[in-house]
Amino acid sequence: MLDKKVLSLDELAFKVAREIRPGNVVAVGHGMADVIGKRLSSAPDAWIIDGYGGLISTHGASKSSKDKQGSSFHGVSDVASIMHGGHVDIAIVEAGEITASGDIVSLSTLSTAGLLAPGWSVDLLDNPRRVIAVAKHFNSMGESVLKSNCTVNPDGIGCVDMIITDIAVLEIGDNGFVLKELVDGWDIDDLTADGSIHIESSQSITDGEVDKEEETELSKLYDTGVAAMSDLPDGATVMIDGFAGPGGMPHYLLVSLRDHGAKELTIIGNTAGIARVVNFGTPAGKQAIDHTLLIDNGQVSKAVASYPVSPSASRPTAFELAYRRGDVELELVPQGTLAERLRSGGAGISAFFTPTGVGTLIAEGKQSRIIKGKEYILEKGLRADFCIIRGYKADKLGNVIYKGTSRNFNPVMAPAADITIVEVDEVVEVGTLEPDEIVTPGIYIDRIVIRPKDFSPYE
Amino acid sequence: MLEDKERLPREVVAMRVAKELPDGGYVNLGIGIPTLVSTFVSDESMVFYHSESGVLNCGPLADEDSQDIDLINAGGQFLATVPGMAFFSSVDGFAMIRGGHVDVTVLGAHQVSAKGDLANWMLPERGVGNIGGAMDLAAGAKQVIVAMEHTDRTNNSKIVDECTFPITGKECVSLIVTDVAVMEPTHEGLVLKEIAPGWDVDEVQSITLAHLIITDDVKEYEL
Amino acid sequence: MAARKVYASSENALADVFSGATLLIGGISQYGIPKTLINALADKDISELVCVFSPCSEFGAFPLTALDPLLKRGQISRLITAFPFYQNTGSLIESQWSSGNLSIEVIPQGLLSEKLRAGGAGLGGVFTPVGIGTSWSTRYETQEIDGRQCLFLEALRGDFALVRAQQSDNLGNLIYKGMERNWGPVMAMAADITIAEVTDIYDAGDLDPELIITPGIFVNRLIQSGQS
Repeated sequence: MLDKKVLSLDELAFKVAREIRPGNVVAVGHGMADVIGKRLSSAPDAWIIDGYGGLISTHGASKSSKDKQGSSFHGVSDVASIMHGGHVDIAIVEAGEITASGDIVSLSTLSTAGLLAPGWSVDLLDNPRRVIAVAKHFNSMGESVLKSNCTVNPDGIGCVDMIITDIAVLEIGDNGFVLKELVDGWDIDDLTADGSIHIESSQSITDGEVDKEEETELSKLYDTGVAAMSDLPDGATVMIDGFAGPGGMPHYLLVSLRDHGAKELTIIGNTAGIARVVNFGTPAGKQAIDHTLLIDNGQVSKAVASYPVSPSASRPTAFELAYRRGDVELELVPQGTLAERLRSGGAGISAFFTPTGVGTLIAEGKQSRIIKGKEYILEKGLRADFCIIRGYKADKLGNVIYKGTSRNFNPVMAPAADITIVEVDEVVEVGTLEPDEIVTPGIYIDRIVIRPKDFSPYE
Repeated sequence: MLEDKERLPREVVAMRVAKELPDGGYVNLGIGIPTLVSTFVSDESMVFYHSESGVLNCGPLADEDSQDIDLINAGGQFLATVPGMAFFSSVDGFAMIRGGHVDVTVLGAHQVSAKGDLANWMLPERGVGNIGGAMDLAAGAKQVIVAMEHTDRTNNSKIVDECTFPITGKECVSLIVTDVAVMEPTHEGLVLKEIAPGWDVDEVQSITLAHLIITDDVKEYEL
Repeated sequence: MAARKVYASSENALADVFSGATLLIGGISQYGIPKTLINALADKDISELVCVFSPCSEFGAFPLTALDPLLKRGQISRLITAFPFYQNTGSLIESQWSSGNLSIEVIPQGLLSEKLRAGGAGLGGVFTPVGIGTSWSTRYETQEIDGRQCLFLEALRGDFALVRAQQSDNLGNLIYKGMERNWGPVMAMAADITIAEVTDIYDAGDLDPELIITPGIFVNRLIQSGQS
């Protein structure tokens, strides 16, 4: 066996790269997965997230650019949010054991003397659209990575889709392992010493040479706000950023949403439109566009907000009047709880215990618990179908930076919606924004719209 | 009539609260009298202001000709740029508050109870109100100080045995500073600490709906 | 006056670290390790430390870890980590663990991060479906939230956090460099006292407020350290 050809790490990485589509977010685990992650530059326009907090864009890498333009750096907690929040398309994990039903023990878990320490593996395997296990087919004892049963508790159950080892490519089919490719000189019977493991042979076993697909250029840039939300349906839940005033509010997209006309919307935001009435954070003599636009147009059926109405009862907002008429519902949420619920929605947290609101009306009907002598209530994560936010600049990959206190809820909402649309002053070339400066990485931004030069946020 | 008796101006209430801010501490100021407090912090004392609009180390307000919609405080006022600012998102801003990183918050109130319950987000007759960041501050700041007028516009005591308005936080207020008295809510009840010049203990009690615990060391307002 | 967070030496900054304290120690592999502070800690006469450090060595790498100065002196009694050692490579963690001198609590990396973040953000804990179906479901309380089984992760905090940053101002605002950021932001939030070792400490106003990752409210003490 020892004299037969095995794939090099570069060849293995090539096979992994073949599986990656433009725009995919690829999370790599420890060891061989990490090494392969650093060799995926042939994967076009993908994002490679590693356990160190690097979110490496391969944009331009195929044009042999060395400084991976469009990349950004993040903390461990941001990496966890990306993995847990369902933002990963492909997870790559180095396997120690894999079964025919797709259970996997990562090599790190297997290599910690029974402590079963998984590093990132459990996080990686939880929520990606696809799992590719990479491995040396045989360990130093000559045992195959393909097992009839895991010898320890698996890190992921039934989650493996594809296995790429140094001698074969297999998929997990309905009846177990399906061999797709085999390195020259090896036989299907070599793949496992255990006769009880059945490996189905695919019709077209190749030695791995495949045609290169044509690269497709992805564009997140839309010509108009209305074009960017053409698929926003009636009844949608829409997050709308803004603290309260015009700073950080996506005015152009608000106008677009009015023109688009979707009805029965649930809007989530800090306010339900107060700037127009009280001139909050608005230059003297100006009247800012806000959520009022949608209320007046009869598009809103419910608001989730912390500061929904005017601070002054004598100057009611359009929302308050609609609320009194019974035209709209209101879910009132403390501001920090709102922020945390949005973060949870984007980070794969279903619910959390917060001390905010204990003993108040907000706590009614909610589970409570004393933890280390302090009382908390349970609040749930919040997601939306669409999110419209306001950035200062974006690059073409969707990396966004903000300005001053206009950051507020923008970076919190962006990961928490199925489709996030950002309105920016300017779209810059990839590589213009510093990797340490990017606040919202492009993986969270689906569509970009430039606020027209002649657009005024004031009425 | 005690309703007409002279009370301390808002600035003096703010000045009294300023004394409570710890040197080197992180402080969040609410809207109203609380906003005035920063004006009276002594120059020797270093206080860092946190605003849930997403800025730390914020200071004075901007001149009228340098107003920037991207630089506001939580009350929607325009801020001047000062050295050492940091910007952050709403989720980080409230992590600071709930995580116990804000030493003091100064808030206004509709009612405060003798045990320190705070009601400041809704007047029941309106039927709807704004919570904003108040509940997080009430639950999260290490110390909650209320700065307000002692009575409301129709001369009702804002200091009560039990709040009749919906509360913002339970037993969270550690000090109440009004235009006639300084009081400390405790488990035993409301302890009168200081009274405004020209007022006596009985007069303060007569406009206060909660029973005041009077000790020997009630002082005149200390500025 | 603004310089009161800046300490003259690691010894001063670590003066009140006590035996039995829980320490959150930032850094992964060679990135963002507060080496100067760790070395100074090893000179202190304290023991029974609980350290949160993860992973302890990069998988498959040489067995040395950033905690070795403390391990050599037997100062750590308990370790909380997602990956303690790669077996049979001669790591001090493995030998102290197998001889019973060191207890190890394993938590998957992302779940550990969520526990610390909850601690830093004042939450009692969080429910997440991550790990459901695996053996981790049996190690934690589980509860169904909106029809989905979830694990409960109770908040975790430290008495001290030791982190490393590239730049700060004297108010404690921190900027990290590239992959050195890793645990810094979340650990700085989650400790009673956060001590940062920083290559360059500037006056307030010299850093761009947009670039600050850890605002000074999370940082209590700074020491300057020239490590590159």
